[in-house]
Amino acid sequence: MDIELKREGISSLYVKTSGRLDLDNSVEYGTKIKETVEDSEDIKILILDFKDIIFISSFGLKIILELHKQMMERGSMRLINVSEQILKSFKMVGFDKFLVIE
Amino acid sequence: MKKTLKSEIITITLSMLLILFVVFALFAFLYYKDTELLMLNFTSKNIMTYANNINKEVIKIEKNAYDLALMGELYYKFDRNKSIAEKTIVQVFDNYPESLGGGVWFKPYVVDRSKRLLCMYAYRNKHGNVVFDPKFESEEYNYPDKSWYKEIFPFINKKDNIEWSRPYYEKEGSDTVMITAGAGMYDNEGNLVGLSTVDWEVNSVIKTISAIKPSKNSFSLFANPSKDYVIVTNDPYLKDKALVGASLKNIPWYNDNLINVRYMTYQNKEFIPYVKILDNEMILIVCVPKNEFLAKMFHSITIFCILLTFLALFLAYIVYSGLRKNIMYPIGKLIYIANKISKGDNDIEIKIENPVEFEKLASTFDKMTRDIKNITKEKERINSELNIAKSIQISSLPSVFPPFPDRQEFDIYASMDTAKEVGGDFYDFYFMDENHIMFIIADVSGKGVPAALFMMTAKTLINNISQIVKDPSDIIEQINNKICASNKNGFFITLFAGIVDLRTGKMSCINCGHNPPLILTNDGKYKYMDLDQNVALGVFENMNFKIVDINLNPGDIILTYTDGVTEALNENDDMYGEDRLKDCLNKNKDITNIKDIINTIKNDVKQFSGSVSQSDDMTMLIFKYYGSENPNHKYCKVLANKDNYKVFYEFIHNFCNEWKISEDISNKMDMCAEEIYANTEFYAYKNVHEGYIELYVTKEDNKIILEFRNNGVEYNPLKRSDPDITLPPEKRSLGGLGIYMIKQMSDEISYQYIDGINILKLTFVNNS
Repeated sequence: MDIELKREGISSLYVKTSGRLDLDNSVEYGTKIKETVEDSEDIKILILDFKDIIFISSFGLKIILELHKQMMERGSMRLINVSEQILKSFKMVGFDKFLVIE
Repeated sequence: MKKTLKSEIITITLSMLLILFVVFALFAFLYYKDTELLMLNFTSKNIMTYANNINKEVIKIEKNAYDLALMGELYYKFDRNKSIAEKTIVQVFDNYPESLGGGVWFKPYVVDRSKRLLCMYAYRNKHGNVVFDPKFESEEYNYPDKSWYKEIFPFINKKDNIEWSRPYYEKEGSDTVMITAGAGMYDNEGNLVGLSTVDWEVNSVIKTISAIKPSKNSFSLFANPSKDYVIVTNDPYLKDKALVGASLKNIPWYNDNLINVRYMTYQNKEFIPYVKILDNEMILIVCVPKNEFLAKMFHSITIFCILLTFLALFLAYIVYSGLRKNIMYPIGKLIYIANKISKGDNDIEIKIENPVEFEKLASTFDKMTRDIKNITKEKERINSELNIAKSIQISSLPSVFPPFPDRQEFDIYASMDTAKEVGGDFYDFYFMDENHIMFIIADVSGKGVPAALFMMTAKTLINNISQIVKDPSDIIEQINNKICASNKNGFFITLFAGIVDLRTGKMSCINCGHNPPLILTNDGKYKYMDLDQNVALGVFENMNFKIVDINLNPGDIILTYTDGVTEALNENDDMYGEDRLKDCLNKNKDITNIKDIINTIKNDVKQFSGSVSQSDDMTMLIFKYYGSENPNHKYCKVLANKDNYKVFYEFIHNFCNEWKISEDISNKMDMCAEEIYANTEFYAYKNVHEGYIELYVTKEDNKIILEFRNNGVEYNPLKRSDPDITLPPEKRSLGGLGIYMIKQMSDEISYQYIDGINILKLTFVNNS
């Protein structure tokens, strides 16, 4: 799984990946982001690009919740380019109420 | 209406009371007259007591007069000392407190020729002291001229030596109305020389008379002996008339015969007159109104009745409470205990000490309970053993369907509804080799444990032989011979067996005395199969069995059953029968799911039977042939480990593409499958290294059914409670989210754990 991590300015981190956020991939995706965020304390904004993500399972959702909790302590998190299909999954578990989705 | 002991006891007690009342009423009626007499006497005695009191007073006054007369005679005959005489008078008065006053009066000039008047008269003044007053001797007073003197003096003689005056008012002295009694004084020759007088105060007489009130409106009358002077009357009807002093003749109700009359009528009322003539011949009459008299009588009867009622009620209460304590309470206790025992509670100690009969009954009861306890224990043991036998029998039959999800050429389903008693039905199916499946349905003759045991033997035997021998007629001949050899109790087995070559659809049918199976072919109707009947197994050794080969086409269905279906009875003792079975199937021939077909038959039989309970095992086995490949079944089996999930989701995407399932539903299936896969990995196989997960997919009209199986530890994910999705993120936990999503996404969800297999079934409705 290719995970693209890009620093934008001093305070934000842009993450983009493609394919499925499921049992197989989500742990790798989550771990990589968490480590990066923990390493540099000046990251205040996390931007997750969902443009090429075609599927998210409950494991993916759990990772997103964990990331959200982590970023709430220091700044904020944004999800961009979320497809209708993925948004449905967020809505089903009520994540749309607190996630910033664009 | 049913009688209870309580109602009986109350009835007896009440009727006892009733009898008591009736007897009393009879008694009261019979003795009413006597009671009246008794009352008359009683009242009369009561009045007489008053009369006697008055009489006594009269006698005393008279005696007082005699005493004074004697004293006067002594004075006249001897010393003529006035002061001694006066002292004596005072002494005499002291003995007669009833007397108001009194004294001696001499005839004019009889004592002293020069002195006309001579008397000694004393009276009680207002302070109660006895005083003499000289004015009574004076010419002004002139006692021989007084009415009382005139009324008494001329009528006294030696024979009748006492006389009473009429009441008169005496202004001098006592200043009150009085009656005077007078007695004569005589000289030695017996000539009358004077008289003594004693005054009786009328007011005190009135008081005494007025006090005579046997009832509220009774009244009295007191008259002088010559009946020409009414001394006192309190007759309320004559109140306004000045009858005091009048003659008795003026009293409207009076006549001389009154003493002999029981009732008299006066003022439209009936009175009872009581007449008493006193010793001085004064007349006392007391009139009691009859109604008041009777009221009094009834009053006393009423009091008596009330007392009797209370007594009777008290007696009834004693009888009732006695019966209650000694009979009803012990019986109630026994009933309570018997009820408890009948509900299965045997651990009760029965203790009744009184009465002795109940103590004996209780101890008998106790013994009985202990016996029941033992018998129940024994029965429970047998029952539990029978239940175990039954469950062993049932669990020996395959119960996971579909049994071979990886084989798409056919579908098989079977069910057995057992009757209360263990029976001899069974079914079985297995692969003889990769391409041949054999299924059998059979019924061992008889019922109960022996039949069940024999069934187990036969089932094992058939299974063993068909694993080794391949030719259908050889199989059945060997089975028959073996069963004959091991059958000493004369059992036999009816059996239908089918062996299907899954590649070609060729089916070898063997029917050994069993009910004919039904077949649905492509002509769209269920028919009974016309097969050669063979003799049941276990009857004759070395028999030849006729095998019938038929060809199955894709979609053909074979339904086999035991006589428990066709011989089910209804309330009229009619059998369900083969025609009803066929009709039921044909009415519902559009049902494609074989499990639903069997359930439809079951319901039809149930409806037919109504309240009649099932008497025999009801077993059915249904086989559906799909041909060499079934386009509506998909199957996937992988080792549930971290790396294999890809295989799983690719399998899902493949059949979704093939069946043109919408992306929405395919995504849902994907998410669900992943969660279940992960759960299998985490929970089902947490104690072992790894295990398989199977996914068996069926397409039925617009439904897609995903059946996940694993043989790990029992784990029902549906028991997890749903997470609260309205909570803010910081309060959210990660657990239960996946199961919650599965419940949300699937249209139906069910979990079963059968024979060590976790089966989770998800249904999705494909609307596109």
